[in-house]
Amino acid sequence: MASVSELYDVTWEDMRDKLRKWRDENYRNSEQIVDVGEELINEHSSKLGDDIWIIYEQVMIAALDCCRDDLAWSCLQELKRQFPDSHRVKRLAGMRLEALERYDDANKLYDSILQDDQTNTAARKRKISILKAQGKTAEAIRELNEYLEQFVGDQEAWHELSELYINEHDYAKAAFCLEELMMTNPHNHLYCEQYAEVKYTQGGMDNLDLARKYFAQALKLNNRNMRALFGLYMSASHLAASPKVSAKVKKDNVKYAAWAASQINRAYQLAGRGTKESKCSMKAVEEMLESMQITMS
Amino acid sequence: MGEVELSCLAYVKMYLHSCLFPRCSVNGLLLSSSPVGGPLCVTDCVPLLHSHLPLAPITQVALTQVDVWCAQTQQRIVGYYQANACVSDSSPTPCALKIADKIAEQCSGAVLLMIDGAKMSQGYRVPPIVMYERKDSRWTLKDKHMIMLRQWEETRSVANQLLDSGDHTLLVDFDSHLDDITKDWTNQKLNAKIAELASPVNGNV
Repeated sequence: MASVSELYDVTWEDMRDKLRKWRDENYRNSEQIVDVGEELINEHSSKLGDDIWIIYEQVMIAALDCCRDDLAWSCLQELKRQFPDSHRVKRLAGMRLEALERYDDANKLYDSILQDDQTNTAARKRKISILKAQGKTAEAIRELNEYLEQFVGDQEAWHELSELYINEHDYAKAAFCLEELMMTNPHNHLYCEQYAEVKYTQGGMDNLDLARKYFAQALKLNNRNMRALFGLYMSASHLAASPKVSAKVKKDNVKYAAWAASQINRAYQLAGRGTKESKCSMKAVEEMLESMQITMS
Repeated sequence: MGEVELSCLAYVKMYLHSCLFPRCSVNGLLLSSSPVGGPLCVTDCVPLLHSHLPLAPITQVALTQVDVWCAQTQQRIVGYYQANACVSDSSPTPCALKIADKIAEQCSGAVLLMIDGAKMSQGYRVPPIVMYERKDSRWTLKDKHMIMLRQWEETRSVANQLLDSGDHTLLVDFDSHLDDITKDWTNQKLNAKIAELASPVNGNV
């Protein structure tokens, strides 16, 4: 089987840089990381200098994702040898136990880290991940709430909590988490759009109105967000078609929906340039627009 | 209730969808090109989401678009499938039941299919699926002897070949389509590959 460097005609420096990029941007493309990382470790470890330790960590986690316990184990051994008392390495050992579904052993390891250092957030989050993996969602939510009382700035945790609430259909609480995220990340269009989706799902005129506003906000932040565009169309259409709204609200929403529809049409035209698939998507949008006209009159 | 047949094409795409996003819950719609009134044959599927399954707006958009496509291609939506992220629990979630209910309103005999992640390990022998049908307004487990997968061994082999060759990454679900609308959620390219692999053995896919 050809090596990565042969297949893609890359040097070991390219491979090292790619791994760094994936690390920095938090990608979870584990199969690729294993392919590139394993070769780098096996063939070029002497050239990597101190980088090798963080690469061992990255490759080990990716190996766990791909069921490569052999590779994970050897990376872990190297790290244990170099950093014998490290909590960071202990956490990796715990993750390996999690991958083997030895949750009790993993928990023991994390508890021992926390005994030494109560503020170790990584160990606490792993314990919550175990609850999630075991399907104990209610407990995971409880623990995560407690965690956030102490570590209120942890964005990743707020987002995780919003996901857990969405899966439990507790949309009010999911919305609260997303509000926290929007406050601290006002330029993030994804949080705006997710918040809008939650509000839309909650239903009712007030929530639909909020949804429409936040879909619009998401579009202001990123005018290529298709979900926000469709969301704006759907929420404005529903509002416009509702018998409960005033004439002015109806008129405004007809305008918003029409604008959204034209943007959607344009986007599909640009994307498809007449391919068969885009024709059917365009037709769907046209049909949606037509049905809205009918409920208008 | 009668027999339900699951075609190679529908099974393989559903299976690849769940393999493509192993850490997420995924869902999709089951389609049929067979006429109403005859035995139910699921001939195709459309993979929908791999994130935020319970949220409404994108699901509604997807359902509308698939509806339109079905009308154009003489197909109808006859069911719903879902694979849960947490492999220890393959029971239908509230959102699965909700969407399946909606489908059942338009199609009596609609089915709800859950993919059982626990049965998807290497060398699995039986189809890792659990099917539910509507009896007395509730979704009840369907007798697995009434679920037909013609040429199961060949179907399984097609799925494995696509996984090995990495072609499963060709699969586009509605979520991916929204990330890049040039991607085709009807999966014509993948359908062709599946037909190619299946045709030496099957007369029809």
